[in-house]
Amino acid sequence: MSHVVFSTWRDEFIDNRGKPQEEWQETAFKLPETYHGDTKSKAFIGWDGVAIFDEDIDAVVLATRYAAQYQEYSEACGRCAPGRWGGRILYDLLDKIARGEGSHDDVAHLKEISETMMVTSKCEIGKTVPKPILDLMTYYKDQFDACIDEQKPSKHYEADINYIAKVTAPCTDMCPAHVDIPAYIEGVRDMIFTESLEATRQTMPLAHTCGRVCPHPCEDACRRMNLDEPISIMELKRVGADYETDHALPWHHPFPVQPPRNDGKKVAIIGAGPAGLTAAYYLGVQGIHVDIFEELPVNGGEVAVGVPQYRMPVEKYNKDIEFVLELPTVNIYNNHRVDAERLKEIDAEYDATLLAFGTRLSKKIRCENEDPSYEGYWGAIAMLDQVNLWHKYGIGESPAKKLKDSTLVCVGGGFTSMDVVRCAIREGAKKVIMLYRRDEKTIIRNTTYEEYHEAVEEGVEFIFHSAIERIVDENGKIKKLIVNRYELVPDPDGGRPQLVKIEGEDFEIECDWLVPAVSQAADLQILPEEWNVELTSWNTILTNGRDFMSSRPGLFAAGDCEYGPMTIVNAVGQARRAASVISRYIYDGEVSLTDDEIMEDHLNKLKVYDKSEKITGWMPGLPRAVSEKLSVEERKDNQKEVNLGFTGDEAIAEAERCMRCYYISMVAV
Amino acid sequence: MGVHNSIGLGKEITITIDGKECKSTYGKTILQIARENGIYIPTMCYLTKVKPIASCRMCIVNVEGVEGAILSCQEKAVDGAVITTNNEGLFLERQNIMKLYNVNHPLECGVCDQSGECDLQNKTLEFEVDNQTFTAREQFRPIENWGHVSYDASLCIMCEKCVRVSTEITGDEALQIKFGGYSSEIINVKPEKNYATLGEAAAVCPVGALVDTNFKYIANAWELTQVPSSCPHCGGGCQLYYEVKPAGIENRRETIYRVGNNYEFSTLCPAGRYAFDYDNTTAVKDPEAFNRAIEAFKKAKTIRFSSMTSNEEALILQKLKEKYGYRLLSPEAKAYRDFMDAYGSVTGSHLYGGDLKTLGKSQGIIILGTRLNDDHPTVKYHVNMASKWERARVAYIHPMEDPEMQTIVTQFIKNEVGSEEGVAALLAEVLLRDAALPESARAFLSDLDIGQLSAESNVGEEELEALKASLHKRHGFSLIVGTDLYAHPRAKEIAKIIALFEKYGGYNVICVPPAGNAMGISLICDLDDEAEGSVIGYNVSGDFTLSAMGGGDLDMPAMNQQEGTLTTLEKRVVPMHVATPYEGYILNDIANALGLDAEYTIDYTAQLPEARGYKAVDFDTLPDYFDITGEAHRGYLLDPKSVPVDESFDEVAELEDFDGTIVYQCNPQEHFSPFTAMSKELASKPLLRGSAQFATAAKLQDGDTVSFEIDGVRFERVFKIDTSMKGTIALNPIYDMGLSWALLSSYRFSQVKFERMNNEKVGS
Repeated sequence: MSHVVFSTWRDEFIDNRGKPQEEWQETAFKLPETYHGDTKSKAFIGWDGVAIFDEDIDAVVLATRYAAQYQEYSEACGRCAPGRWGGRILYDLLDKIARGEGSHDDVAHLKEISETMMVTSKCEIGKTVPKPILDLMTYYKDQFDACIDEQKPSKHYEADINYIAKVTAPCTDMCPAHVDIPAYIEGVRDMIFTESLEATRQTMPLAHTCGRVCPHPCEDACRRMNLDEPISIMELKRVGADYETDHALPWHHPFPVQPPRNDGKKVAIIGAGPAGLTAAYYLGVQGIHVDIFEELPVNGGEVAVGVPQYRMPVEKYNKDIEFVLELPTVNIYNNHRVDAERLKEIDAEYDATLLAFGTRLSKKIRCENEDPSYEGYWGAIAMLDQVNLWHKYGIGESPAKKLKDSTLVCVGGGFTSMDVVRCAIREGAKKVIMLYRRDEKTIIRNTTYEEYHEAVEEGVEFIFHSAIERIVDENGKIKKLIVNRYELVPDPDGGRPQLVKIEGEDFEIECDWLVPAVSQAADLQILPEEWNVELTSWNTILTNGRDFMSSRPGLFAAGDCEYGPMTIVNAVGQARRAASVISRYIYDGEVSLTDDEIMEDHLNKLKVYDKSEKITGWMPGLPRAVSEKLSVEERKDNQKEVNLGFTGDEAIAEAERCMRCYYISMVAV
Repeated sequence: MGVHNSIGLGKEITITIDGKECKSTYGKTILQIARENGIYIPTMCYLTKVKPIASCRMCIVNVEGVEGAILSCQEKAVDGAVITTNNEGLFLERQNIMKLYNVNHPLECGVCDQSGECDLQNKTLEFEVDNQTFTAREQFRPIENWGHVSYDASLCIMCEKCVRVSTEITGDEALQIKFGGYSSEIINVKPEKNYATLGEAAAVCPVGALVDTNFKYIANAWELTQVPSSCPHCGGGCQLYYEVKPAGIENRRETIYRVGNNYEFSTLCPAGRYAFDYDNTTAVKDPEAFNRAIEAFKKAKTIRFSSMTSNEEALILQKLKEKYGYRLLSPEAKAYRDFMDAYGSVTGSHLYGGDLKTLGKSQGIIILGTRLNDDHPTVKYHVNMASKWERARVAYIHPMEDPEMQTIVTQFIKNEVGSEEGVAALLAEVLLRDAALPESARAFLSDLDIGQLSAESNVGEEELEALKASLHKRHGFSLIVGTDLYAHPRAKEIAKIIALFEKYGGYNVICVPPAGNAMGISLICDLDDEAEGSVIGYNVSGDFTLSAMGGGDLDMPAMNQQEGTLTTLEKRVVPMHVATPYEGYILNDIANALGLDAEYTIDYTAQLPEARGYKAVDFDTLPDYFDITGEAHRGYLLDPKSVPVDESFDEVAELEDFDGTIVYQCNPQEHFSPFTAMSKELASKPLLRGSAQFATAAKLQDGDTVSFEIDGVRFERVFKIDTSMKGTIALNPIYDMGLSWALLSSYRFSQVKFERMNNEKVGS
């Protein structure tokens, strides 16, 4: 809810002009009434309308500046005739009126060019920019008329008002790493795959990884869904990354790599997983010296030792890792465990420290007689460590020694548990069971349809609505499990349905292995007690989620150790923001956000994607491409990558479905 | 073979366009279906041979039940769609777009090269833009000279066609878009390469923004007469037009000003585009010289000729052989014939089965025995298309890496010089493991000493296994082999192994013929290996020399002064027409004097040997056009003829030693023969180019002039160190060797002895 003078935002029409305050209607949208801190916004203007917060607004200048921002945005576009010339004409005409040289003919031409842009532009930015401008011309007509009739500049033409603009897209907004998705898809459409890759890497250095194992929240905010099916956004990312690797091209950096600053400033990063690597990249590429401390002999964190080879081939992940570590300013120390004492040393030596050590402790199931020291009790993290260290790096011993012909029960329902059961199948386990408290629909929502479907195909037995009551052991070795069955009972008051145990439906499962994969926790022994670092209620490091500094100045946290076990893309997004904040903090000691970041957060709050919007100008019914997978027979006894990726035909057809939903928004402060 | 696709491509659909029911398949765009059905939708940025660009927005249509304007060039038609291509609303939007295109477009049509064939002019008229309601601030943009082409940003409408050609077709990847809204422009990101393939980008420019630098301001489009023909240089026989007009006010002789082509559907290579000025303009009828020629023929026992000989001329020579028992020598064509005979002994057909269209749609491509980017740009274009459109895996097996292929090739496999037979066998062993091979071939492959072959060829088993793995579940494979193999001492054995891929592996195999009309000659003539007695040379030196390039005893017409046909890489017989007049004698005159009887050379067209796949079709009835869908209706396709099968395989021979410094006979991409060497546009100094490592090994320094001999031909070359090269093989061009050029016919890699020439200056 925001206080507005006037708003046409998203089909809402509010006009409080001239009304007494008590009669003012409020908007239902979270519009950026306050820009940042104490700074108030005068107006917000964007793809879906305009909202005025300050009665003393100059609508002519606002419209002109918005058109000017489109000109500036076009510096990154200019790919269609209506957008390229139309945008320029729009601005030239508005500026002419605003500076007091316009005519009523110009208004007519403005309307005409707006119409052509709205009908024929290539991307949404060209189609939507005229909308709020037309709104202003309609509802603040008197201001336009005054400029024309009196032939004098509008009142704020020379005023010192700050106009801050941001280009986004529904998918980009939803992506925790705010990847410029339409740009990388356009790179595929243009078949200039290096440009696609560079677009991804602007905010996402792990292009191979997030082109393969990202749960793609972006696809839930794809406007194409309003027409038929969402774009297969995630897999298109892989195209650019594979291209660079396949052709052994030199690294394509999104920005020029700056030479080392050698100014004595340095940043420590604890952990070389997705968050650590991301922060290292965006600091390192600016020439800032970074040292990464990694406990394991191998790099990449959970994606390396947790995510199996058949989903994320390590030779591809290694490309993402090399891309970061080959920066001249980034060093890594492997086999370097940081404990509280060491962290104190690091904290003293470095100008800032980023904690990015993830959540590597498997949580317990919480059932009777649960003793992790039992033979046969095998935490998911430890199990996947052994599988991945063996298959990817030849470290340790073959997990098949333990798993061949065994029965394994996994308790979970998330990605990690899927990795456990599918790895167990590959190691030759004779029976693999997944126990899950809730239903099939929920497990699909928590993972992906493909992941669940492929596990079923490979022979994993899913038992839903069930939970272990008690572990039965024999001399400290797990023998069998007593399992309760549950049912979902609807809440008569309309609340969330409750899981209720069904009496008399208990059953037993004999097994060799019980793998808890319910969740993971952060290993907080790293934090010196005397620092009293504030924690969240779920025992991760507390930050405000915007600048990622902990309660201790100079100590930052990003990724799972901050958020709790979450996605790779979430870790990347947090780490990139943290790197940005750190890059300023180490020089001025201030924790600050850029205008771009402030706008990013505003838009995220406002929500860019509108699932009820009607799409026009696109042919509906073009099916979404699905890449070919290895058949069950081809994949279930080995670690070969299951997903073969798009063929060229599929990649280009899929890229052509993208509607380039770029939007431009602007705040006047 | 069911090609995997998840999007339902190829499913039958029916749509209605402007009331007409149109049957088609899913995957085609609305525009494609409209064109197939003769329905016009205006476009400015659409170029049939590339993927939809979607920048101009002119092609918008209305679809029943769908709000807004739908982009017909890009949007696939959905079954049951009812489409309107024109109405008042669409007309107005299109008119407005044309107004936008005309904002600040310089009014310099009077001096613009494109004037008269300009899409902007045409559509401005078509959409009745007789006044301008829009204006924008003018900007200053200088003209860029990029060597073969020049770019004027102020004329550019940013349709992006040129960028697409550079990316998707020629693969030079030199042109890109510099985004900048109103000030967007095309940039050349590799100006230092001076790619002649940029001429293909200029060819598709709908306005006068990207033009041939040397054509600029020398003729108006409407003054030029287009003479349709086929390009004789590389063996691809591409469609082109020689655009001619009189050379000047006094000299009324028709002169070629430039080469045009049907760029909507096909693409030329640099030689096709720019090597047109090789016609023999000085010939006159000298009866004495002619009589000497006849005498020489009567005396001669051998006729030696280059591959720049038309099908009809080849047939004349064959008939002379039949009549007088001449030995016919055309070494490149002979080597190719022998190779193809051996190939056919496995496939049972006298032609290879592959074609370029299938190549361009392949998902896996193997290239063996050719430096493809230089040897055959058109084939390279198709490999590039497969790379861009199909994300094809491309394995490039050669002793030398080629940086020009880096963005296309996904796996470079370096083999030792001379080891091509072993490599072919290893490839077959790995890739045809599951093929239903005949027993003889299976036994041959299972008896291979893999370790030994790998060691000798330097091609690791793991490299080939990686290749095999990368092709897993891909669909549509092509194998391209080239001229390194044909003169290889083990050419016949290699041919039989390669043939297994076509017959049993389902591969689209193209045995790229040597340049010129070598393929036609190899099919039409019974060629001999050795010369005997007195030799008549035709475009190659002999005891009596007929030459279209000067320097001979009797002048002959160049290919662009002749009527006749060529046999192309596509196994197609295509017509050539006379672009410029020729005043001298022609081969047919000699043949008539020697007792053959044909009024015109093209009387032989219908007599080309049916046993070798030719058809009894008169020259004047050969079609030469592309239909609206881009299908070529050019001449006719050869019929494959059955030949006897002999599937016996010989053990792989031991490798000859190729130690030390090696010279590889290889022309640059622009050149094929002494005829392309005459091109003013493509003039360049032929150099011996090698790596620093080569220089050390050969004890040469950058700038040294060296002399060496290959096939009895003496070269004198300036040696240049090329920092982009590696290894101990140098590139030696042969296109400038004039009448000696066609003598060079042995295996392309030679060990030579360098003699350093004295570089001392003469005088003071």
